[in-house]
Amino acid sequence: MLLLFRRKSMGQYRMSELSPHIPDLDLITFYSEKGTSLFFRISPWTKAIMLVLIILFVSLDKSLILAVCLYMIVLVLYGLSGLPIKKLFQWYMIPFLFVLSLVLILMWNEPGSPIFSLSVPYFSLTLTDNGLLLMLTLLFKSFASVTYSLFFLMTTRYNYLSAMIYRVFPFPIDQIFLMSYRFIFITLKMVESMIKALRSRGGGLLKSAHRQGKMFAEVFALTMIRSYDRADRVNKAMEARGFSGRYVAATRIPRIGPGEYFSMLAVATMMIYLIWFVRFPF
Amino acid sequence: MAHIHLPDGAFSIQWIITWWILAVIILGLCLYWLKKVKKIDNKTITLAAMLTAASFAIFQVNIPLFGGVHMTLTPLTGILAGPVIGSIIVLIVNILSAAIGHGGWGMIGANLLVNITEVTVAYGIYKALSKINLDTFSKAGIGTIIGLLFGNIAMLLIILISGIQGVNQDIQPLLYGLSLIAAVNMGVAIIESFITGYVVSYIKRVRPDILAEESHAGAK
Repeated sequence: MLLLFRRKSMGQYRMSELSPHIPDLDLITFYSEKGTSLFFRISPWTKAIMLVLIILFVSLDKSLILAVCLYMIVLVLYGLSGLPIKKLFQWYMIPFLFVLSLVLILMWNEPGSPIFSLSVPYFSLTLTDNGLLLMLTLLFKSFASVTYSLFFLMTTRYNYLSAMIYRVFPFPIDQIFLMSYRFIFITLKMVESMIKALRSRGGGLLKSAHRQGKMFAEVFALTMIRSYDRADRVNKAMEARGFSGRYVAATRIPRIGPGEYFSMLAVATMMIYLIWFVRFPF
Repeated sequence: MAHIHLPDGAFSIQWIITWWILAVIILGLCLYWLKKVKKIDNKTITLAAMLTAASFAIFQVNIPLFGGVHMTLTPLTGILAGPVIGSIIVLIVNILSAAIGHGGWGMIGANLLVNITEVTVAYGIYKALSKINLDTFSKAGIGTIIGLLFGNIAMLLIILISGIQGVNQDIQPLLYGLSLIAAVNMGVAIIESFITGYVVSYIKRVRPDILAEESHAGAK
């Protein structure tokens, strides 16, 4: 019953209207604050170290099979955490396009067995098995790291993330980071309402690039001006309340447990073994 | 902005580490400058945070031109905040972008070098043109297009030097493919330079104090 209620609340949650294929920070925060599965109780440090291990793994791996296996494991973890799978596939759009934007050009004329060839005078394009492998390998590596990043964000409470940022980054990067993360939500709402106002006046329907560009530029300029004014107000309000220039994130982050150390060691050993000691056909 | 649209795993580990080290050295210099030369105050921190949030929020807006364009207006960040604060802003925007799948985590070092080039060149050109009698739109527009051109060159150099894992082509077809991407990027750069020009001239018209103050803070 509780699960049904939670699912319903998540479904009703208003999504960002700016771009449906960009992960919605409101939804990410909702899951990270309300989630209850086992993965939400794992130390955030463990999840962060696992992210580093995954990045190392995809950087060292040259096999499509391994990339697909890693992606499947991460996807299962994501699904077991009760995170929205359908949304995840929508959010793949940007990484998918980014991989294609470069690899779609580079995958042609790779040395290997030809699969498809296109010839016009003075020009020929050949898609080989290696070209296709290149695209698929990069695509699965990309999906694995994106899925794990979102898993990390959506299973880690904001308090823990802010405490980690405070401990990892030096001053003033930590301060700017912590404040900007808070400001992002209000700025997004502000941009969203301005875009709505622009659309309600027929902004999205105009075809002239000049007029269109000018209107969006005014939205961006207003965002900057309002951000500046808000920053000024926030700074004065914080100073009036005793802000001395250091924003302290004092939340105690759960420590890495012995079982988590063991799991990380096992994962790292497995990765080293698979990358250096096992030969895969492709 | 130019952005190396490559996922994690595209660069080999040694190049990921190399670009990260270079980016960390530059950021270290920025932090040193903020600590020893220009003491950063509370207001600058709050303003930088707001600019970071605005930059990230603007990136989420899909501009309905030529099928849809996203931009983070990196040169605008440079013009408004200066190269030092601008470098910190692009670091945070890159981390946030990687977290939601826009660019790989391993690519942050390389992308930072590209974006810091854009921020610094755009700011430098904008400041240099201030000595000539040019209107704000032209100064910001020219600064942006030159900043993005240099960003593109940095991006091409980084990809050519690092190579892409799994690509076994000679340098010539690789260069040909990358030139095509650079050409598309420059097409978007033209739109971005117009938009930045409009934004800066609008700010100049409505709130000239912002530009004066920020240019002063960045140049200090």
